[in-house]
Amino acid sequence: MTSPDLALLGVTKLAAMVRNKEVSPVELVRLYLERIDRLDGRLRAYITVCRESAVTAAQAAEAAVMSGAALGPLHGVPVAVKDQFDVAGLSTTMGSRVLDGHVATETATVVARLEAAGAILLGKLNLTEFALGGTVEFPFGQPRNPWNLERDPGGSSAGSGIATAAGLCAGSLGEDTGGSVRSPASFCGVVGLRPTWGRVSRHGVFPLSWSLDQAGPITRTVEDTALLLRTIAGHDPRDPLTSRRPVPDYRAALGTGVRGLRIGLVQELVSGPETEPGVRAAVTAAARELERLGAHVEDASLSLVPLSGAVFMALADSEGAGLHLPWLRSRPGSYDRGTRRRLLTASLIPTASYHQAARARALIRRQMLDALARFDLLAWPTAHQPAPPIAQHAAPITSREQVAGRFFTRRSYVSPVSLASVPAVALPCGFSPEGLPLSLQLVGRSFGEETLLAAAHAYETATDWHLRRPPL
Amino acid sequence: MARVLDPAEVEAMAAALRLTLTGEDLTEVTHRLNALLEALTPLDALVLDEVDPVPILPDVTGIDEPRA
Repeated sequence: MTSPDLALLGVTKLAAMVRNKEVSPVELVRLYLERIDRLDGRLRAYITVCRESAVTAAQAAEAAVMSGAALGPLHGVPVAVKDQFDVAGLSTTMGSRVLDGHVATETATVVARLEAAGAILLGKLNLTEFALGGTVEFPFGQPRNPWNLERDPGGSSAGSGIATAAGLCAGSLGEDTGGSVRSPASFCGVVGLRPTWGRVSRHGVFPLSWSLDQAGPITRTVEDTALLLRTIAGHDPRDPLTSRRPVPDYRAALGTGVRGLRIGLVQELVSGPETEPGVRAAVTAAARELERLGAHVEDASLSLVPLSGAVFMALADSEGAGLHLPWLRSRPGSYDRGTRRRLLTASLIPTASYHQAARARALIRRQMLDALARFDLLAWPTAHQPAPPIAQHAAPITSREQVAGRFFTRRSYVSPVSLASVPAVALPCGFSPEGLPLSLQLVGRSFGEETLLAAAHAYETATDWHLRRPPL
Repeated sequence: MARVLDPAEVEAMAAALRLTLTGEDLTEVTHRLNALLEALTPLDALVLDEVDPVPILPDVTGIDEPRA
């Protein structure tokens, strides 16, 4: 097997190979470090590379394999996490100069659980500043899409999408407040899951919006996502709002498929005017494939979801602005100008508008849950277009009409899920004529990740979109 | 349609929060704020008075528990 083959195998297969002594953890860590050295100067996925500690951990993992010790499910597998997760002894930058000098004293629960399962931390990954979108100048380098370096990799978990797609780690964690796992997964051609709110601990995760933030995996396959979710999910006393429900074995449930499932194809987002024709065609074809696999696919309507982008920004940005107000007053120049302007705008949202948006959120959620009572799953595109040019984000905003196109439209495809606190998975479903990945989004019931991932796995197994590789 | 705020009004709102807004920041924040308020105007047509403005989160049972 060639080095690129190995680097792009994903978490589940590499874990099995380590366990079977077909590859050593030291070999894997060195492979990924070599690829980071060779490719990340262009891609800028990483902010921190844990070179020495990763090699040391790999040597210990290799010794454990050779000694016949009990091995965790991720034993010896190199992973990376968004630089929003604390790791004791490492800086948490949040992709910002505002936090210069901040070193975490504790490790986020999700990272600790990965390490307890045997994973090796390769490093911390780039993101849009403070997990908000719209960063113009990235202090740690402009993250670039591995499918086309002039294209946006998606955000806010940009580095997580890039590193997973480019084989700079076996799998990664991102954080999704309003699409920040699913958008980079979509633009980079990999799998991204936003779990049900409360399924995964937020302890040690730098906050953006308390009622919307949720960590999730970005991986090469649905099976990898199932494995990582099983590892990080479950009640955490340090985040009392995590659910006490038992964590299912999501991988074991993957084989249940889609036969007999009712799937609602949400027309406002599939056939709406904002959805590019190529995206519409790819998602419609994916629906037909799910039908061929035994699902009952019908049109569904969610009349309020086109409003959800603006509702989301009124709520999430207001919460973020509250957190940032002291820094906006004392050191506004430390922010990227795009982030600063977004947070300043959010600081000025009238309270009446905030409350109106909070009420609208409850209505959107009710409409989503009503639809999920009629259907087992909902489906629509993860994004209305393939990855746009990076230069689009850098252009100054000169009218309020531009704002809607840049911020509200695309968020309406991902934020309804966040507002409703339900899970959703983004997975590859085609390519644009320019060779950019397109993505199907499947949305499940609260704590319905088993059904959701089983359906995604069935589609993935029947297609080969996930097997294509970026031209690096 | 929401009333369009002008830069002087936005600057005054920011000043009330002890935020300094000048130059290009003021121009762009004015566009952004007007766009958001306009995007929220369709909510006026919804019947929201009877809707509780709280996020309904699944399985939230530990809200009063001390963090370990």
